[in-house]
Amino acid sequence: MDYTKQIKEIAGKLFSEEKIDVFIGYRNSGFDENQVPVLIHHYQDVDQLVFTEKSVFNLTNYLKYEHTRNKRVGLVVKGCDSRALNLMLTENQVKRENLYIVGIACEGVVDEAGQKAQNCLECVMPDSVVFDEMLGTPSGKREYQVNADIRELDGKELTERLTYFEEVFENCIRCNACRHSCPLCYCDKCCIDQETSTLYHGANTTSSAFHALMTWSLHLAGRCVDCRNCEKACPSHLPLHLLHKQNEKVVYENFQEHQAGMIEGDRGAFYKYSMSDPDDFIM
Amino acid sequence: MARVGVFVCFCGANIGDFVDVPAVVEEAKKIKEVKYAIDYKYVCSDPGQQMIRDAIVQQRLTSVVVAACSPRMHEKTFRKALSDAGMNPYLLEVANIREHSSWVHQKNKKAATGKSSDLIRMAVAKSIANEQLHEISVPVTKRALVIGGGIAGIQAALDIADARIPVVLVEKSPSIGGKMAQLDETFPTLDCSQCILTPKMVDVASHPFIELLPYSEVIELDGYVGNYKAKIKRKASYVNFDTCTGCGACWLKCPVKVPNEFNMGIDKRKAIYSPFPQAVPNKPVIDAEHCTMLIKGKCGICAKVCEKGSIDYTMQDEIVEREIGAVVVATGYDLWDPKPYEEYGVGRFKDIINSLEFERMVSANGPTGGVPVRPSDGKVPKNVVFIQCVGSRDEAKGIEYCSKICCMYTAKHTLLLHHKVQDSHAYVFYMDIRAAGKGYEEFVKRAQVETGATYLRGRASKIYKKGDKLMVQGEDAQIGQVVEVEADLVVLATAIYPYKDNPDLARLLGISYDKYGFLSEAHPKLRPVETAKAGIFLAGCTQAPKDIPDSVAQASATAAKVCGLFAGDTMKKDPMIAHVNNEFCTGCQNCVNVCPYQAIVTEEIPLGYGFKELRTVAKINEGVCQGCGSCVAICRSMAIDLAGFTDMQIINEIVAI
Repeated sequence: MDYTKQIKEIAGKLFSEEKIDVFIGYRNSGFDENQVPVLIHHYQDVDQLVFTEKSVFNLTNYLKYEHTRNKRVGLVVKGCDSRALNLMLTENQVKRENLYIVGIACEGVVDEAGQKAQNCLECVMPDSVVFDEMLGTPSGKREYQVNADIRELDGKELTERLTYFEEVFENCIRCNACRHSCPLCYCDKCCIDQETSTLYHGANTTSSAFHALMTWSLHLAGRCVDCRNCEKACPSHLPLHLLHKQNEKVVYENFQEHQAGMIEGDRGAFYKYSMSDPDDFIM
Repeated sequence: MARVGVFVCFCGANIGDFVDVPAVVEEAKKIKEVKYAIDYKYVCSDPGQQMIRDAIVQQRLTSVVVAACSPRMHEKTFRKALSDAGMNPYLLEVANIREHSSWVHQKNKKAATGKSSDLIRMAVAKSIANEQLHEISVPVTKRALVIGGGIAGIQAALDIADARIPVVLVEKSPSIGGKMAQLDETFPTLDCSQCILTPKMVDVASHPFIELLPYSEVIELDGYVGNYKAKIKRKASYVNFDTCTGCGACWLKCPVKVPNEFNMGIDKRKAIYSPFPQAVPNKPVIDAEHCTMLIKGKCGICAKVCEKGSIDYTMQDEIVEREIGAVVVATGYDLWDPKPYEEYGVGRFKDIINSLEFERMVSANGPTGGVPVRPSDGKVPKNVVFIQCVGSRDEAKGIEYCSKICCMYTAKHTLLLHHKVQDSHAYVFYMDIRAAGKGYEEFVKRAQVETGATYLRGRASKIYKKGDKLMVQGEDAQIGQVVEVEADLVVLATAIYPYKDNPDLARLLGISYDKYGFLSEAHPKLRPVETAKAGIFLAGCTQAPKDIPDSVAQASATAAKVCGLFAGDTMKKDPMIAHVNNEFCTGCQNCVNVCPYQAIVTEEIPLGYGFKELRTVAKINEGVCQGCGSCVAICRSMAIDLAGFTDMQIINEIVAI
């Protein structure tokens, strides 16, 4: 999977036709084999752009910051990234008319060890679901399967699970890198930072990190697209995907097989009110 | 510094017997912010309220906690006591130690006492974060919408209009009148149904304060009490009502014949028709499903014979909007389909009819000219078997409730049969005779004596055919023997069932309904005509099975409620509604989508102080918001808060235990 040439051409064309103010893509980091995100502002910088199976990051995250606010943006999205973008569009965080989206029919990216990444092995939608231009041959939607880690987790007793997460989350340093790296955590003032939220800590026995991570994961329930930007960003290497994958399973099973961001305009499992909502659980 | 007063109620023995009230008071005194705590036999009594008023002044209280019954019971009482003492009424918190503690933990006094203390601790913690709130006043549109033009809807519309309040009466069929128009004579006085109904129908049509919309349906209701907006679909009638004189030339000449719904399908009507001679308005409509002109574009006879040129085949459905303040729902009932009674041969034997079909037959303007006949051969029946409780009171095959009117109308049917066919004999299978009502028992007695009808106590178990007769088998429980009756005609007293579209209508109006489809009242005893949604009232069989006197009484009751609602120019509204903090709002509009009342809109505000760029934030419509809290729960950035139930108050409560 190497679309470097095509992306350079597209970005170059967009700049020369003055259709965009900034292009978000990947470049080689310069000091190791990895790639890093780059914001290109000028035609002459287009040559920096690359796209290979090492283009791991979800670039839609950069749409939530001031650099791109109210600007015309071109960007590259893989299947998972495009689903996040779909949600951002639905939740009015970006305007579709400001975007030029280069969709990728993704063949999977690699992890740090150079193997195909786990989330790519479990990917349900490798093709970009929203795009202006598509690179590669779409391979279509795949069947949802419960993650092996989650199956293992479900096998454990509740108390065992609690102990496991309490131990794991002890390593959290509350740097909030997970939040900053998540394209769907776009609130200006996160609820976890608000004074009312800090008061909860007096009411429960778990740590503030535990509380913060649980709140965060619930706010992403039915929205998380499994891009794993958060795990890549976490300096403590916490298994954050466990939280999201568990929520994904619960939502899939209980909300008419809902999958986040697949359809434009679909707000997700919790954020719509319909007269036909099942209410059999209300006594 | 908060100074909280706690008042613990014994509620006589209700709380006092199961909770150690003095101990609860001692426990309350230990809370730092509580400056005053006391118990009393009945805090809701006058001396009890006086205690609260005195303490507020003498102890300089900043908030008040009453530990007593459910706030649904006496919250208003205590709020009034607070405002009488010069305190903002919303600084009150009620700790429900009766329903939530003493009643449910009657066997464990110690635990109930502990729980009561916890509930008080939570209420104290919450009350500290209480803010002064002020009632919102909203304007009222003084116009009522009545849905359904049966006797209940007609009565409600007339009573409201007589109070000089404009009424919009919406009826889905071409004429008002409903089921009552189909009846022959009515129990217990045998008044001719049409004779007492049609004057009221004419009154409706000529009343200056009533706007009658026949052949129409309510398709949308937005807004809130006092300020609803209704969208009403006026179905295309293909007849210009303004010029039509109702002469009847069109339906005489129309070549298409369709089963007549008004006569229960016993005879035929035309594709252009007025349901019955006394219809109001007495203007025909074209049945688009059967009119050959509308289906195939061939015919057009009605247009040719109409001297006024009132027929318009191009007419389309029209949506009209009306601003209204209150709604009366009077959609009435349907007959229950007796299909599950296979042993009766329903559908197989032609000579089994339901009571409304019998009613049409004996009616003077009915399809058989007032004489009951057997549908199979048109002969006048001699032996007629009436079976009561078909569907009613039958958990196995039908429905659990009693349809209330069948005992009475079956007695009436035996009388009518006796009047029309002198040498006939009636047999009635019954379970009990339920004749509670003024003159009802006397009427049943009169019918029995006058007709000599044979009353057989027991459910008929089987009907089979023998020659051209029907054999009805059943047990007469009074003699303990199986009896078999030879019948020319069998009349089933099928149960009252709610109008089939009630669930859809209930969803459209935002009110609740029970498992059968009857619309639910707010309280079965004390608020029988209100629904849980303010400004929507129920009349007639839409709520439960009723006879005509009950339906009329309930309809008049709704009129009184509507008039009460419209008594002032504005309405006071609870201030416990949602508020948006623009600083935190991300404009994701999830709240707009989850709001069941469409109370949230968006607005554009500057990005920040001095910015020209705009961003979108949510905005609550104060009048529409009902304070349900759906938006608060889904707001991830915690930008929405509910006055009276702020996050801070709830957290305080959680922290307190």
